[in-house]
Amino acid sequence: MGIALGLVCAGALALAQDPPLADVIKRVDARLVKVYGAGGVRGLAAYGTGIVVSPTGHVLTVNNHILDTTELRVHLPDGTRLLAKVVAIEPELDLALLKIQDSTAPDDMPHFDLAAAAKAGPPKPGTLVLGFSNQFQIATREEPMTVQRGILAGITPLSARTGAFQVPYRGQALIVDAITNNPGAAGGALTTRQGELLGIIGREVSNELTQTWVNYAIPVWASVDLTDATGAIRKVTVSELVEKKEKYKPSNPADRSREKAATVETGIVLVPDVVERTPPYVDYLRAGGAGLRAGLKPDDLILSVEGMTVPTIGAWKDALAGRKPGEPIRLEVRRGEKIELITLTPDKPAAKPVPAPAPKPPVPPAR
Amino acid sequence: MSKQPFENGSVNRRTALGALLGAPLLAGVSVAWQDPVSLEEAKRIAVVKKVSPSVVAVVTGGGSGVVISPDGYALTNFHVVQGQGGALRCGLPDGILYDAVLVGLDKIGDVALIKLLPRKDKDGKDIAFPHAEIGDSDTVKVGDWSFAMGNPFLLAADFTPTVTFGLVSGTHRYQYPERGMFEYTDCIQVDTSINPGNSGGPLFDMNGKLVGINGRGSFDKRGRVNSGVGYAITLNQIQNFMGSLKSGLLVDHASLGATVSTSNDEELERPQVVISNLISSDAERRGLELGDEITRLAGRRVSTVNQFKNVLGIYPKGWRVPVNYRRRIEGAGTQTRQALVRLMGYEKRELDEDGRPVAPGKPPAPKPGRPGQPMPPGKKPEEKEEGPPSPALKLYEEKPGYANWLVNKQRRDAALAGLKAALGDLGAAAGVWTVKGKGFLGEKKLEAPVSLAWSELAQGKPEVVSARVDGVDFSLEPLKPDLTAQALRDPAGSGGMLAALHLLRLFLAKGDKAFPQGMVHGGETPLYPPLDQDPEDWWPLRKNAEVLEGTLGGSRALAFLVEEKGADGKAAVRLACLEVWLSPDEDPCELHLDRVKPVGGGRSMPHLITVRHKGSNFLRLEAETWELR
Repeated sequence: MGIALGLVCAGALALAQDPPLADVIKRVDARLVKVYGAGGVRGLAAYGTGIVVSPTGHVLTVNNHILDTTELRVHLPDGTRLLAKVVAIEPELDLALLKIQDSTAPDDMPHFDLAAAAKAGPPKPGTLVLGFSNQFQIATREEPMTVQRGILAGITPLSARTGAFQVPYRGQALIVDAITNNPGAAGGALTTRQGELLGIIGREVSNELTQTWVNYAIPVWASVDLTDATGAIRKVTVSELVEKKEKYKPSNPADRSREKAATVETGIVLVPDVVERTPPYVDYLRAGGAGLRAGLKPDDLILSVEGMTVPTIGAWKDALAGRKPGEPIRLEVRRGEKIELITLTPDKPAAKPVPAPAPKPPVPPAR
Repeated sequence: MSKQPFENGSVNRRTALGALLGAPLLAGVSVAWQDPVSLEEAKRIAVVKKVSPSVVAVVTGGGSGVVISPDGYALTNFHVVQGQGGALRCGLPDGILYDAVLVGLDKIGDVALIKLLPRKDKDGKDIAFPHAEIGDSDTVKVGDWSFAMGNPFLLAADFTPTVTFGLVSGTHRYQYPERGMFEYTDCIQVDTSINPGNSGGPLFDMNGKLVGINGRGSFDKRGRVNSGVGYAITLNQIQNFMGSLKSGLLVDHASLGATVSTSNDEELERPQVVISNLISSDAERRGLELGDEITRLAGRRVSTVNQFKNVLGIYPKGWRVPVNYRRRIEGAGTQTRQALVRLMGYEKRELDEDGRPVAPGKPPAPKPGRPGQPMPPGKKPEEKEEGPPSPALKLYEEKPGYANWLVNKQRRDAALAGLKAALGDLGAAAGVWTVKGKGFLGEKKLEAPVSLAWSELAQGKPEVVSARVDGVDFSLEPLKPDLTAQALRDPAGSGGMLAALHLLRLFLAKGDKAFPQGMVHGGETPLYPPLDQDPEDWWPLRKNAEVLEGTLGGSRALAFLVEEKGADGKAAVRLACLEVWLSPDEDPCELHLDRVKPVGGGRSMPHLITVRHKGSNFLRLEAETWELR
């Protein structure tokens, strides 16, 4: 009985200890800035939002068009207007780090400790979240940000739907049920009910297939794996961007997982990847290549790799990433009306990329 | 422990804790333990249930509304009733379709006051309407929960309202006007779903107090449905206009007569609101200058242009509000001052009922994709039905410049009747009027005997008003043809005391009939006492006054009536001030009237008359004897 009583009381106290929402909102708001830069044409907002992540005025925001100016300005929560400069960009995370330039800028700015926030790790779906941003430029100067409440609907890689979304970021994203991603919201903060930073509100994006809008934030613990030419994996994290600041070396956009140097050579040449969702049809097979040896034929449609469906050429490339030469890979292939099971044993990649021969007309399937 | 502990819609922590502590003891008994979340839910459900009966489905126009008084006054948006005429039909959650009449309109603020026609009980008495309790919208904070009720997408075929719940995302928000209308100033921003058809419906706080009228949203690429940003007009703003809306007026918002800009000085650590342009206005006459920094308006701090517009936008044209400002004086640092400024009108030109300028000209096309647009009505208004005319039409009279001219006339007549009840029948005293007493002159309050006299009012006889101040005689015959502008403004420095006294006599004796075109009810406005010394802050000294307006020749008279407790403890109307404007570009002469006492013959007259001009007292007369013949 005593234990039960204790538990009940503890529960009640925990509830009572939640700070008032108004206080939480004020604390978060003191750590956000309004960002003004390029835009104002073709429906592109010239304003955005930023999160202060250092006492000396480093601001984390989304790497979007408004940064494309020499006249970048931020408005502090007290209404002060100051110049800012982009000091680091990470295209894989779709994030940029700004630094307030003015000599008069305070050096003890209220800020979020991003490293600590990143350590807290992913929240559970169903968590009550708050979104803060200057969407629609409703606030000016010292006026507080718009705050919205929502539920964390899920954490899912946006990359899983590559091609469906035109989002540079392909890592894990926080999906919320509130309409947080409006014009000017990019770079805003997604926090817990207690005001702990969870993520950076992303762009306005819609699913091109369903025409539905997706409200997402890039998690503070976000990490994207990149494979370099030597096959080594490099982790790109928000924490590193914020920690290294001006010294941060961005990943080469050419390193993107889709274009990353293949770790195996298959000798398969697919049809040109012209639309976002080009299916992986075999165009032709290189002489002596692994594909020809495994019995693939031009016009084959590759359906799956090791049981994972590959609906697009991008997905096929992702599926091959990190595979080792000499290790067999099971493929499901559609040939005419039949499904064929094929085992492909890839080779080592050539030291130099093999120059692609001029495209040939497709060879009719052998009968 | 009650199973329904919150029937009255209130919960306190003690009750909740009691429930918590009691729970383990009752384990196994059939009484369910309620966790705090369920308790909150129960409270919310009770509040929604309580306020629900007051929510209106505005059938004509396709929107929402809310009843705010037992006699059926209801608020909605202007853009809901726009173009619908004077007779409307509204459904309440009791399932009954009521007739309603248009009462007052605020096109700029997007507010309409309508009145539902009550049903009668079996004794022929009006059945009182369930109504929402009005809250103080200035207490609404960012992070508060809120709920909206109304008729989104016109789902409520049986008039049962939809409820949506959400967070207050921002307060004191400014949203630019569209085509000169729908300027939402000082409004509440919510992430509570506001959709087409919600327009005009109530926003409640979690105690069920009415804090806003929903009417706009920010839209962009997602189309004109909720995109997480809705706006509600605050009830505090609407309350400022209520006195004028109830007079059947098309109310106008205010401008200062000065434009301001947020200082562009990059060196400034804080933004400032600085006067960048000044037109001929009361602001200029009260001494405001270019470059003055406005720090407070009507008691509220302003430091951005948005805040300035927010504060200005919640007041009607003609109100006097204090403006605090700072002026840099070379060699003397900065000085802080306060001026009591009469606000000018906002509408630059007359707009017809659809918001189009009356003068021919193209209305500017609405800019697409701009945030903060009004929610469209839920659907196109129905075809006008054939059938008997609406009983609401008996309560409606059309007149350009008014929302409902009949309402204005009724309210004017009621005010005049109230004044007559307080002062007696002064019209019967058509002879000579005199008053004698002790006068105090100018700022130094020099004491001197003063007497005022009015000639008899009779056909064909000249009307003369005269004054003897400290042995010096002044007189004015206002209808004399070759009257000079100076004579009309005698004595010098009074702003036209004799002319004002003449109008006072005419108004007291003839009321509405003193003016060839009659009088109109001008709504309600604050009135300030005629203090000898400017106070630290005028704002708390304001008293609400009803205004009656009349024009005679080139002069305009404004009579300010306040309601207060008479000597017998009953509410009585007092004519507290008569303001006489000899020219619209000149400060008026104000006659402040107080200490109303009987003078015999069932009549009463003021025994303290203060003549005020340009913000200072010209003469204070403590009357000793009144004679009305």
